[in-house]
Amino acid sequence: MKKFKFLFLALSLLLVLGLAAAGCSQGEGDTDPEETKVLVMAYDRDAETLDHIRTSWYSDALIYIFDRLVSRDYDFNYQPGLAERWETSEDGLTWTFYLREGVKFHDGKDLTAEDVKWTLDTILDPDTASPFSGDLQAIQEVVVKGDLELDIILKHPFPNLLFNLSNTAAGIAPKDAYTEHGDSWGITTVIGTGPYMLEEWVQGDRIVLKKNPDYNWGPEWMSNRGPALIDEVVLRTIPEETARLMELETGGVHIIRNIPPTVYDKVKDNADITVIQGSATRLGYLAYACDLEPFTDVRVRQAINHAIDRDSIVEFVFRGLAEPAYGYLPPALKSEYYAGSEADGYKYDPDRAKELLAEAGFADGFSVTLSADNSTESTRLAEVFQSQLKEVGITAEINLMDSASYVDFLKEGKQELFIRLYSWPNADILDWFLLSSQFPYPNHSHWVDDTTDELITAAAQMATWDERAAGYQAVQKHLIEQAVWCPVYVPDTLIAVRKEVKNFKFHPWQMMLNDGFDLE
Amino acid sequence: MFKYILKKLIMMIPILIGATIIVFLMLHLAPGDPVHLIVGPNITPEVYDQIYRSLGLDQPAVVQYFKFLRNVLQGNLGNSILQRRPVMEIIWQRLPVTLELSLAALLISFAIAIPAGVLAAVKRNTITDYTCMTGALIGMSMPTFWFGLLLLYFFAYKGGYFPVSGYGTWKHLVLPAFAMGLTDAAVTARMARSSMLEVIRQDYIRTARSKGLAEKVVIYQHALKNALIPIITLLGLRIGWIMGGSVILEKVFARPGLGSLMVDAIFARDYPIVQGSLLVLTTFIILGNILADILYAVVDPRIKYH
Repeated sequence: MKKFKFLFLALSLLLVLGLAAAGCSQGEGDTDPEETKVLVMAYDRDAETLDHIRTSWYSDALIYIFDRLVSRDYDFNYQPGLAERWETSEDGLTWTFYLREGVKFHDGKDLTAEDVKWTLDTILDPDTASPFSGDLQAIQEVVVKGDLELDIILKHPFPNLLFNLSNTAAGIAPKDAYTEHGDSWGITTVIGTGPYMLEEWVQGDRIVLKKNPDYNWGPEWMSNRGPALIDEVVLRTIPEETARLMELETGGVHIIRNIPPTVYDKVKDNADITVIQGSATRLGYLAYACDLEPFTDVRVRQAINHAIDRDSIVEFVFRGLAEPAYGYLPPALKSEYYAGSEADGYKYDPDRAKELLAEAGFADGFSVTLSADNSTESTRLAEVFQSQLKEVGITAEINLMDSASYVDFLKEGKQELFIRLYSWPNADILDWFLLSSQFPYPNHSHWVDDTTDELITAAAQMATWDERAAGYQAVQKHLIEQAVWCPVYVPDTLIAVRKEVKNFKFHPWQMMLNDGFDLE
Repeated sequence: MFKYILKKLIMMIPILIGATIIVFLMLHLAPGDPVHLIVGPNITPEVYDQIYRSLGLDQPAVVQYFKFLRNVLQGNLGNSILQRRPVMEIIWQRLPVTLELSLAALLISFAIAIPAGVLAAVKRNTITDYTCMTGALIGMSMPTFWFGLLLLYFFAYKGGYFPVSGYGTWKHLVLPAFAMGLTDAAVTARMARSSMLEVIRQDYIRTARSKGLAEKVVIYQHALKNALIPIITLLGLRIGWIMGGSVILEKVFARPGLGSLMVDAIFARDYPIVQGSLLVLTTFIILGNILADILYAVVDPRIKYH
């Protein structure tokens, strides 16, 4: 009997020690709850690393730790960021940036043009293997002209440099960060010039950011250009959607970005929570392998476009929390979006779809597989597509798989009909998906077309932003004619915010927490 | 005794090597290109090749395996593809979270299961027995994650007695430990009941009763000791089961343990982390089995140390 007692005691001791250790590690965070304003946000995924140069999964923490040369205001216009102004040479090849004076990194050092050069050079260095390097390939050289002045010399005109420099991946880090901080960079140490500083990262659990009290270089378009009003921001990882929503409802979490339409009604009825609804830079579409019979025939592609009833999908699948889509970019992209998308696009017309199929020699329809990831939304969409296609004689067999396997499946080129959703705030997404050089992946619709290549290349290398935007509009017009995809919907962005959060401002891409957000 | 333990530990090596082969093959036969996952959109072919080579993916699978095995033997589980730091370091950070939950669950499980099982056996075919065993049947039939969600709903969301998710204080531990402990107790309680029933039917118990000993003494001093033998050995086996079960439960309760690390790594195709954490879990399961063998020998004098 003694042995059993001993065993029981040993186990109890271990448990108590474990709990005590856990209790100790938590201790410091609980001090002064009344004086410190702590905003908690919940995400389904943690950061992989906080080294923004070497990741392709950008935690929101990176938005607040770093500043970028260029910022984007609430109307999505490009505005000064760390650069207070810039000039472009007439040939569009030399961009001169003038940095703001008095900007300091979190460790107290001044921001200079050398830091900007180091950041851009490091991204471009093949040894860094930065996922972002491809976006900056137009850069020939970065030349420092003074403490606060630098030239970016381009290989060809590239107005989209503005977008790339405003990207989270282009946050300016201090010169020689890698050599000075070694492996701790991005894990325990990250230094930027942003409104929040890294306090602690408990991997898989939370990232804690502390207000940068010296911050006074917010861009002109912000109402609060000084230090943030909220002292601490905690980004928690809560993978389970149910648990995330329970935390929101019980007050453990203040903000959840991107709640699914399926829980909208439940959250909306809670008096403590407001759901902010805004236009998203996302597009959901039905696509097909264009190199595969019968999708090689434009009439078949057009028939599928006519067969899909977008309005009923928006109403029944998304409960009205989306817009029907006819073009290849979300309308939120404004200047880049082709305004004639809806007029030129294909309306729901099953009779016309049947006519087109008959003309193409498929009067009796045909059978295909319809693949998608197994999320609730995609599963529902697949079922609706299946029944709508059935009406025009196309028999679709649904094939669902988990998201990682789905990407593998597309890379292997096994798709026939398939469902996709992209999220990106720039027209260069069309380069990514539709240039023939991207075949067979990410050009998963296997669209290899000289006209598309010429139109995109010309648009991307125009001298000015306006010419570029016009160029991309021509690209979209061509894609609609060719019915390369079947665009279906632009989902609304749904952000659930608790009543304690004051001065919430909707931004189509990022949440600018330092722009006057406050807590009761 | 020392020799016996040593022998058991040596036997662990071929099992572990077998486990490394299975883990290695499973991951390399799975589809998916880790390079694309690391670098995502818009990379040049040079960057692709650079990463592909640096991960050793250009070498034949056999070469990759032996390199992996050599490193494992040296205590090096490689570097995480996405986090670019040693897998061992990452696992060491997450392991205590999982161990804490597993130990607490085990404790709850045994603290509930043994009294319930013994009571059910002693009061066989009474309402107490039926209640205990119906409870056990429900516990066994209920998926742990669903039970976890139920506890969350009633005790955290509705009741507000405990935090919904997270990690750090004893309050964060209570719900997941009970979710795991109670479902696990169901299995152990049934085992305890049948073991006790077997023992109280034996001759020496009848002898003890005929000597005129009080029923309490018969049960607690004579029967329980022997009935506990198979249950104690079960303890070793349950360690592996509970640690495996934590994979899903950690996701539900947002605990940053080994389980959630592994699930994330599987979806991100971060091979070294999946390999490393599977290997650590396998080691614990094997250790649990060895512990069971050793405990069995310790508590039952009829077992010889061969």
